[in-house]
Amino acid sequence: MRILIAEDDTETAGFVEQGLGELGHVTLVADNGADALHFGLTENLDLLILDRMLPQMDGLSVLRRLRAADITTPALMLTALGRIEDRVDGLDAGADDYLVKPFAFSELAARVNALARRAAPTSVATRLTAGDVEMDLLRREVRRGGRIIPLQPREFRVLEELMRHPGEYVTRTMLLERVWDFHFDPQTKIVETHVSRLRSKLNEGGLPDPIETQRGVGYRIANG
Amino acid sequence: MTALVHSAAYRIAFISALAFALATALLGATVYYAAHRAFIEQMDARIAQASDSLLAEMNDDGVAGVREAIRQREANGPDSLGYAIFDATGHRVGGQLDTRVASAGWHQISFRDPVEGADPARAKVTMLPGGYRLIVAADLEPLERIDQTIFTQFGIAFVALLAIGLIGGLILGAYLRRRLTRIDLTARAIIAGDLSHRAPLGPRHDEFDRVSASLNAMLDRIEGLVSNLRQVTSDLAHDLRTPLTRLRQQLERLDGASDAGERARSTEAAIDRCDEVLRLFDAILRISELEQGSLKRHFTTIDLGTLAIDLAEAHEAVAEEAGRMLQTDITADCLVTGDRELLSQAVINLIENALRHTPEGTAVTLGTRYSARTATIFVSDRGSGIAAGDRSRAVERFVRLEAARSTPGHGLGLSLVKAIATAHGGTLALDDADPGLKASIHLPRRGAE
Repeated sequence: MRILIAEDDTETAGFVEQGLGELGHVTLVADNGADALHFGLTENLDLLILDRMLPQMDGLSVLRRLRAADITTPALMLTALGRIEDRVDGLDAGADDYLVKPFAFSELAARVNALARRAAPTSVATRLTAGDVEMDLLRREVRRGGRIIPLQPREFRVLEELMRHPGEYVTRTMLLERVWDFHFDPQTKIVETHVSRLRSKLNEGGLPDPIETQRGVGYRIANG
Repeated sequence: MTALVHSAAYRIAFISALAFALATALLGATVYYAAHRAFIEQMDARIAQASDSLLAEMNDDGVAGVREAIRQREANGPDSLGYAIFDATGHRVGGQLDTRVASAGWHQISFRDPVEGADPARAKVTMLPGGYRLIVAADLEPLERIDQTIFTQFGIAFVALLAIGLIGGLILGAYLRRRLTRIDLTARAIIAGDLSHRAPLGPRHDEFDRVSASLNAMLDRIEGLVSNLRQVTSDLAHDLRTPLTRLRQQLERLDGASDAGERARSTEAAIDRCDEVLRLFDAILRISELEQGSLKRHFTTIDLGTLAIDLAEAHEAVAEEAGRMLQTDITADCLVTGDRELLSQAVINLIENALRHTPEGTAVTLGTRYSARTATIFVSDRGSGIAAGDRSRAVERFVRLEAARSTPGHGLGLSLVKAIATAHGGTLALDDADPGLKASIHLPRRGAE
């Protein structure tokens, strides 16, 4: 993928650039808003990573102008710690996702992957499959090896998020946002508890665990 | 002298004294003019009456009658009018008024007074049949005397008033300056760094005392804020030192680590320490953002009951896992205006506290209530509670009560809850649940305000 990184802090930009490079992406770096807008308008890009605060033109204005020019490239907004309003402003301006600085690179990578898939055309799936786990989205049923597994609504939603992105890590923060709509970090182990319950229900009878945990990164369900 | 020029107190006193003096002068001018007019009108009436009566005399008895009538009037003494009658050639034929002939109508004339010489007088010249002219005149001297008297008296009054006003102004100005100087001295002491200085209060509770009292209250508040800020700064430094010291230790261990497993563990621990510091900053920044109070534009209508059900559902399993039981006690129809995410965070903080600071097996209740004006969401537990004396302190920033020292947390949880409640126009109350603690967020009920 060709990814634009608009970030004026060279250290952060370098950190993101190196990480994305290692994942096989091609990156362009702009250290001010005007350059970011120029790249956004002229380059063929798959993803924009925009810092909220940029010299010359802030990230929100860059994004608004790009959206006004009918450029629908997925955009990930980087916002400063402790700014509640920024998230709403970013989404209003046309951002597809946001991330609060400072962030773990694994979190950024997970979101970049998710956004890349969102850009690709997807058919509206009604059934999801991962290994011997099957999910029927219409009947809200989960089966493993043919046996129906009774899940609580939130456990179902957690599993759905994992199965929609098979083979890729879904972070704790992403689950909090998507399943519970919490855009802050509750200290309680909401995610951990629900994943653990989901696991014990899926693995009942000594079956192998389909959910993999990577500490500090997130959860993933094996592909295929 | 510069003190007088640059003093608002003196200026106000002098201007009011001057205004009074000017009002007196204006009054004097009005009286002067009115008296003058009235006297002239009276004089004119007497002259006109005498002229008419002499004209009637002329019609009845001719010139001789008029001359006789004039003689009688002059002889009869002081009606203070002067008379003269001239024939068609301009020769005086009667009367003693020593003046020249003039055309018909009202005039200001000059006549020769036998005692004082030339004198101004008001006169009416009447044409009589046969070419005769009759002049009836009144000496203007009495009018001048009255004018003079009025002018002199009001002049004296004006000067006296101005003098009294100036003296009063000096006294009043000095008084105002003295009162203001006391307040000014307090302000200067504060500027010089002595925050404990306060403005003295008089016994009369006048405007100055009220200003001093307000100033003192403001200074108390500022002193409180400053000491709070000092406390927060030193607490922050203290709270940062622990995770940063541990982070340093982890990094040192990482540096010396030989096998991959130990290195991974140390790295993980170091990242956890960083996250701990970042969470602390996040909470601090959130509290200050909330205290700035600019969040209202995202407020929507929220049912506390629905919010409580959602949060209870999210935390039931968490509580069970932690060995506690989360129950709900929800009353419907608790509508408030607010930010769902912030209120969720506040309630989750209260749930976290209840799970963290109670013995295992404790029942925790999440519930809602409403009254006419307020909607309340509360978390109560059957734990050991907080002693009454410690409850208000528990809400302060960074305060971690002795009993809670051993449990993790940055001591900002309840401060954040309080800041969120305040941002919604509500309050956070900690009460005794006998046994245990009941933490309630009281918010203005929607539709009740």
